[in-house]
Amino acid sequence: MMQFTCPHCGPRAQSEFIYERTVDSVVPLDAPSQEAMAKLFTRSNPRGVDDEIWRHTYGCRAWMILTRHRVTNEISGCRAIGPEALP
Amino acid sequence: MINFSFDGKAYTAQEGDTLAAALLRNGIGLVGRSFKYHRPRGIMTAGVEEPNALVTVGEGGRAEPNTRATDVFVYEGLVARSQNRWPNLNFDLGALFSLASPMLPAGFYYKTFFGSAKRWMLYEYFIRKAAGLGNAPTQGDPDRFSHRAAFCDVLVVGAGPAGLQAAVDAAEAGKRVILVEQDNILGASLIRDPQELNAVWISATAARIRAAGGRILTRTTASGYWEHDLVTLTQRLSEPGQIPVNGVAQRLWHVRAGQVILANGSIERPMAFAHNDRPGIMLSQALRSYVRRFGVVPGKRLVIATNNDDAYKTAQALKDAGAQIVAILDARPAPAGANSGHRVYNDAVPLSTKGARHCLKSVSALVDGKEMDWDADLLAVSGGFTPVVHLHMQAGGTLDWNEDAQAFIPASSRQNVTTIGGAAEPQPIFKMVPVSKPKKSFIDFQNDVTLADVDLAWAEGYRSVEHLKRYTTLGMATDQGKLSNMAALGRLAEKQGVAIPEAGLTTFRPPYTPVTMGLIAGAGAKDAGAHVRRLALYDLHAAKNPIWQPLGYWFRPRAYPNGDETLAQAALREAKAVRNNVGMTDVSTLAKFEVSGPDAAAFLEIICATTVGKLAVGRGRYTFMLREDGFVFDDGTVWRLDENRYLLTSSTGGADRMATHISYVRQYLCPHLRVSAVNVQEHYAGIAIAGPTAKAVLATLIGEEPPRHMSTVPAVIAGVPVIILAASYSGERAFEIYVTASDAATVWTACETQVMTVGGALYGLEAMEFLRIEKGHLVVGGEVDGRMTPYDLALDKMLNKAGGYIGASGLARPALSETGRRQLVGLEAIAGDIPEGSMLIPSEGASPQGHVSAAAFRIIEGGSVALGQLVDGFSRHGEVLIASSPTRGQKARVRVVAPHFYDTAGERYRD
Amino acid sequence: MTEVTITTLPAAPLHVFEIWGNAASVAKRFKAAMGFALPATGRSGGSDALRLIRFEPTVWLVEGDVSALSAILADDGAVTAISGGIVRIRLSGPSWRTLLMEGGVFDAEDPAFSAGCSAASIIDHVNVRLHVINDDACEAYVPLSFSQGLLHFWKEAAESLAA
Repeated sequence: MMQFTCPHCGPRAQSEFIYERTVDSVVPLDAPSQEAMAKLFTRSNPRGVDDEIWRHTYGCRAWMILTRHRVTNEISGCRAIGPEALP
Repeated sequence: MINFSFDGKAYTAQEGDTLAAALLRNGIGLVGRSFKYHRPRGIMTAGVEEPNALVTVGEGGRAEPNTRATDVFVYEGLVARSQNRWPNLNFDLGALFSLASPMLPAGFYYKTFFGSAKRWMLYEYFIRKAAGLGNAPTQGDPDRFSHRAAFCDVLVVGAGPAGLQAAVDAAEAGKRVILVEQDNILGASLIRDPQELNAVWISATAARIRAAGGRILTRTTASGYWEHDLVTLTQRLSEPGQIPVNGVAQRLWHVRAGQVILANGSIERPMAFAHNDRPGIMLSQALRSYVRRFGVVPGKRLVIATNNDDAYKTAQALKDAGAQIVAILDARPAPAGANSGHRVYNDAVPLSTKGARHCLKSVSALVDGKEMDWDADLLAVSGGFTPVVHLHMQAGGTLDWNEDAQAFIPASSRQNVTTIGGAAEPQPIFKMVPVSKPKKSFIDFQNDVTLADVDLAWAEGYRSVEHLKRYTTLGMATDQGKLSNMAALGRLAEKQGVAIPEAGLTTFRPPYTPVTMGLIAGAGAKDAGAHVRRLALYDLHAAKNPIWQPLGYWFRPRAYPNGDETLAQAALREAKAVRNNVGMTDVSTLAKFEVSGPDAAAFLEIICATTVGKLAVGRGRYTFMLREDGFVFDDGTVWRLDENRYLLTSSTGGADRMATHISYVRQYLCPHLRVSAVNVQEHYAGIAIAGPTAKAVLATLIGEEPPRHMSTVPAVIAGVPVIILAASYSGERAFEIYVTASDAATVWTACETQVMTVGGALYGLEAMEFLRIEKGHLVVGGEVDGRMTPYDLALDKMLNKAGGYIGASGLARPALSETGRRQLVGLEAIAGDIPEGSMLIPSEGASPQGHVSAAAFRIIEGGSVALGQLVDGFSRHGEVLIASSPTRGQKARVRVVAPHFYDTAGERYRD
Repeated sequence: MTEVTITTLPAAPLHVFEIWGNAASVAKRFKAAMGFALPATGRSGGSDALRLIRFEPTVWLVEGDVSALSAILADDGAVTAISGGIVRIRLSGPSWRTLLMEGGVFDAEDPAFSAGCSAASIIDHVNVRLHVINDDACEAYVPLSFSQGLLHFWKEAAESLAA
């Protein structure tokens, strides 16, 4: 089980988080059909670093983008996503 | 004095004895039979690496098979039994396999048991009987198992001299420290070799660690090293088979450490020579432990075979204890051992042993090229030391080859782990090559693998160490090759003509030592392994003793039988009550979201594929949601409670994923919207009242005219504020009453009283299924199975023409509205009952063109009806097909019809 | 030192207080009206009469009388009732931290997790929000449907903390 440093809560166990998808597979709301399908189905799957979207579902419920190395599990970055919030 | 029994005979042990020590103390040398050849085996080690002395400890559900006798401490009343023997340990018929051993080479199963799968089943029965370990208990384990988390700055594994020092240094530097030791006392190598650091130093150091706030866990094994410095520890709170004091037998710790220090030490290696597996042949350090720690001297005439200095300490310990040191066979050339005061033979490599009935008689060796032999009843061997690198390797580490020690030592790691002590700096040894005949020269004692088996695997073309492992079974079972891997690697490297590091290594996987299933299950061992989600109205339902039905993690009443009614009878009675009069049911588990804010409607028009913005305050409508690829995701209803406040409901089974989806859309895709979407699934309990008299019942309850179909009003029932939604799933005039869950019992009771007054009934999920199938309403997970588009379900007319919803662009793909897709149909039986889940075929033997997703019958008139998916089903009404379920041996002839069997005009729920 | 008392507290009004925009000015209005600041991440604020716990970056759980809050939010947020779905369970006695380690993944033994701190985590597969009252007590906000299961788990675990 990995440990992620939530931008809001600090280091927490992976089991508090749910994986959503990689950043490159986010389908913008106004994406035309072809682009939307490319986002969903023709994605890169690097054996290395990728930007992943996770949600601290069982913690602060906030979303974040985690930069993770898929082989070593090294986490090289994590930034918060979401509406404007107080510090 | 502690009383225990072994194979039914009573013995006594001393306080602190392991079972192995106690057996040796009682003169018992023969402890088990080997896995394949049923050879007599004794105690070889004094630790978790023991390959031979496997016993079943405890009785009934507490029985623990394959327990290492070296890894269980004797307690009053311990019951141990030997394994893999019949009829008994001394006379084992299975030992006939040993005579047949030339016919049982490596890969024996693969070579012998050819033929059909059926024949393999027969072979397997006998193989399982003959080859094996202990039997799993058939009764449930009465004990509990705990899982506990812990966090520390420094986790130290191993409480030998290096580990104790590291732990005290870290603790006194103000760090949160956990020190774990698999033994039940601290000290490790210091227990057998006290030297200058003795028991006084050990206890003083332990006291300093505790005083500085450190935590010391004994009888605890660090068994797994996972990601980001998470280490799992398995702690024995009671011994195998023992009744635990607090009801908890073991604890699994999940320790997240800032830094891990491994002070695991090393495991001594045996040597390969013929008949090196007799009882009476032990590892040198183990023998020393029995003498010094337990005061047990398991023989009188000792021969030692070694390639290093350490074994001389064993000679000294045995001499001190009064045993005769017959000879020390030192593989090293002179003058190694010259000043030891013992009879030392240099350039001496063991060849073979002879034995009498289950004990050792003599040892022979090649000394400087000449064969010699000695009478002895005890043989201590020391073939070098293998650093325990398991955790380091599980952490993703690499190894370096240490030529002097002929051993792999920990190198780098991507995690925050360091190895110290003996495992980092193993003792130097002399490199030796086995000279004995390979046939009976065992290298893996637990799996009966000999040098000859490795040679055979090589001859048959197995080159990789991973293949060698699978083919010979080397390194498997409880010891996982702790003693055997290096010997096998040495032989493989010799065959390949390369150095050992180039021969490769098998993967080190958790757990380091065997872990019982109960410990892994933890608190989940006692039930389904997951909590049942309990309805707010659970107590009221339970009082009626319903038939319960699991629905996801929920349990919901399936039916409320009267007296001796069966499920089918009860459900039919309940469904008829809804069709003819009134019924009520608990719909609390539906997903519910309260969506507020100036952008609430805009947000809902992104989530839902239907229009929402046009809803007037106090009105609601059916809605459905799509995935991004255009397929139907879920369905429900949306209600405008106020100018800027909506209530969205969706399916029970999809509640969690819908909550995640809504959060994703709101937080990730639409952070700019002025909206608050709150999951109120559990805040509101839901009660549905349905039937031709439902309106009258509700009018009495709320004291006013109930809202018309698809309208909502706030109201008060029995003094409790509620929200009434006029919606129908059953096809009758119906209302859903939403009430704060903590007040739900009051409202339910008031409703039930009124429903019963007019002769209505409670109904459960089974009746609800009958009702909705007859009406042709969809269920998510049934008709909505993730492969159906709005077109396939005839929902396309409801799509928001303005688009903008999730899935709109996915749905625009031409293939999703072309012909040839499966479409929702109704099915009416011509003869027989339609089997649920059956396939739809035009004729016997033809390929399926669809399937039945839900089957029921007409509630009043009778007759089997169903909903299903059929290729181009919309245009095939009137066709006759076969609904066939070969697995159940059931079939029915069916006519394809529209998916509505009841009140197709929808007149019954409108005023 | 292995004592912990587990008490289910009576139902109380609980609301979600969510800010969707102009967060800084809402915070200013809140402080002016209520006399204390909106608590930061992982913290609670207020008093027994009205307590707020930061639940999410933009969401606070409100325990107590919310009548003044809608006016403070104006068009920048919403208040939504959630009390029916949550059961409050009080863990009191010197061993509440140890009990929370059973089946957990969160470091409740960290001394920095002290009075006024709050965290959500998973305990025996159940999503639980914790709020430290003082050194001797912690309150847990547990989903109603899981509360019986978790109470059972806690009661069994409490008996064996000494082990």
